[in-house]
Amino acid sequence: MATTSPSLAPSRVVPSRRWRRFTKEGGAEILLLIVGLLLVWSIISSIIPNPSRYLPAPLVVFFSSGELIWKGLFPNYVGQTLYRLILGSILGLGVGIPFGVLLGLNRTVSDMFYPIMNFFQSISGIAILPIIVVWWGNSEKTVFTVILYTALFPIAFNVLSGVRSVPRIYVNAMRTLGASNYCIVRDVILPGALPYIATGARLGIGFAWRAVIAGEMLTGRRGLGWWIFTAQDTDHTDQVILGMLMIGCIWILLDRYALRPIEADTIQRWGLVQR
Amino acid sequence: MSTIQELSIAVQRRFGRQRLRRIILGAIPFVTLAFLWYLNTANEWLPPVYIPPFASVWEAIFLLEEECMGFMDALTMGSGCMFTNHVFSSLGRVGLSLLIGLPLGIAFGVVAGMNRRIANALEPLGIFANSISGIAWLPLAIVWFGIGTATTIFILLNTIFWLVFFNTLLGVRSVPRVYENSVRTLGGSRWNVITQVYFPGALPSIVTGIRMSMGFGWRALIAAEMIGGDSGLGFMIFVSASEYKVEEVFLGVLVIALIWMFTDRTMLVPLEKWTIQRWGLVWRPS
Repeated sequence: MATTSPSLAPSRVVPSRRWRRFTKEGGAEILLLIVGLLLVWSIISSIIPNPSRYLPAPLVVFFSSGELIWKGLFPNYVGQTLYRLILGSILGLGVGIPFGVLLGLNRTVSDMFYPIMNFFQSISGIAILPIIVVWWGNSEKTVFTVILYTALFPIAFNVLSGVRSVPRIYVNAMRTLGASNYCIVRDVILPGALPYIATGARLGIGFAWRAVIAGEMLTGRRGLGWWIFTAQDTDHTDQVILGMLMIGCIWILLDRYALRPIEADTIQRWGLVQR
Repeated sequence: MSTIQELSIAVQRRFGRQRLRRIILGAIPFVTLAFLWYLNTANEWLPPVYIPPFASVWEAIFLLEEECMGFMDALTMGSGCMFTNHVFSSLGRVGLSLLIGLPLGIAFGVVAGMNRRIANALEPLGIFANSISGIAWLPLAIVWFGIGTATTIFILLNTIFWLVFFNTLLGVRSVPRVYENSVRTLGGSRWNVITQVYFPGALPSIVTGIRMSMGFGWRALIAAEMIGGDSGLGFMIFVSASEYKVEEVFLGVLVIALIWMFTDRTMLVPLEKWTIQRWGLVWRPS
């Protein structure tokens, strides 16, 4: 008896505390909103004619995933899309960061390349997709080029700004102490530019995510974007809605639990407090 | 020699030494790129099917406008003026969506932001809607509205409304309660609080939202026109690409970039700067 009561006590306390925290942070309102939205959705879908074409009920959407998961198609599509996004982003980071650092090191060079990078940044990746399709056809290379292009410019642009924002004094101090160029880049410029690099990476990956979805739709490579597009073609509106919800959820998870924390930590750790 | 020196001094005085230097330096990559493009057409390193000569890109405008009856015909969107029709229909869609989306987004954002409970509930909804906004709605929009103007406007409105709404909400929430309370203490009505406190306080955030929504919206519009449109610049480049008319594709891409750069440079960036300067909150009570 004496051993069980202390183990029971926290289990009785923790849920209520958790519940209080949940309601304090607006959890109850969110729950209410979600339930309300689902209700409105199901009411609308029960009123309109031909709901399976225009707006299938929430349960129908939910159960439409069963068949896809059973066949193993669904994880396959998500995996393909994520693979493209991640590889494209890594490529973008790998090209964009050195590019930005090289351009940012010299003031004349960075003044020179700033406008043209601005110009290319304002051509969205989707707009150049037709050109790339003409060059390479509807291949995997096309999709990757579009992702790389979309991710590269925000990243390179931010790295350039970051490198330029590092105060000259630090570089001069290192030089006075006899540091080599490599040493300055490694110990001063890169850490100083890290907050900007993190911001640029989040921005670039955000653009890249949209580009992946649109690129898959336009070039017909298998993935989430392709899936919702073909589901629309074959009149499977339930799968279209499910795909949309998946796209939203995946992006929120990525943004909330990977990109934003990384950015916040980087800024906290490496952000320049005093200039 | 002395006249050249005088001229250079006069030019430097007129534009400012630093600005002049930046303009000249910034022009170098563009000139190099244009020169490479010229060399490419002259030497045919890459065939014109891949990179068309500049002259044919320029000619594409006139080929597309061949059956145009003149300036008035272009303005009234006569059927012959293909190029200007595409440009106007894209711009018109942006204008219409802004006209509907901005007031709606700002109004909903202010109302939702004033009540903490509603704001709490709607913030995640805003995040969710923003993360699926744009092209992910396209297949569903095509089912609902078919291919055409309605679909593209729906996509654009979706992008604009949610971004403006979300930014307004954040802006209103960031206005310190002290200001509202002081206006109420001085006898201000609820309407006064909205027009004098919340709206001006949220303005910097709203304008940032507008600029963001234009950036995302313009990209989304191009993609929407490619997949679900029947006119517009995106439609033009997509159809031209499938017919291997590369010069029209290049023309379209250049025009898309130039329109965006022009809008961003001459309207949105100055607007944002001015708003932050004029209405940005400098001091916040903790």
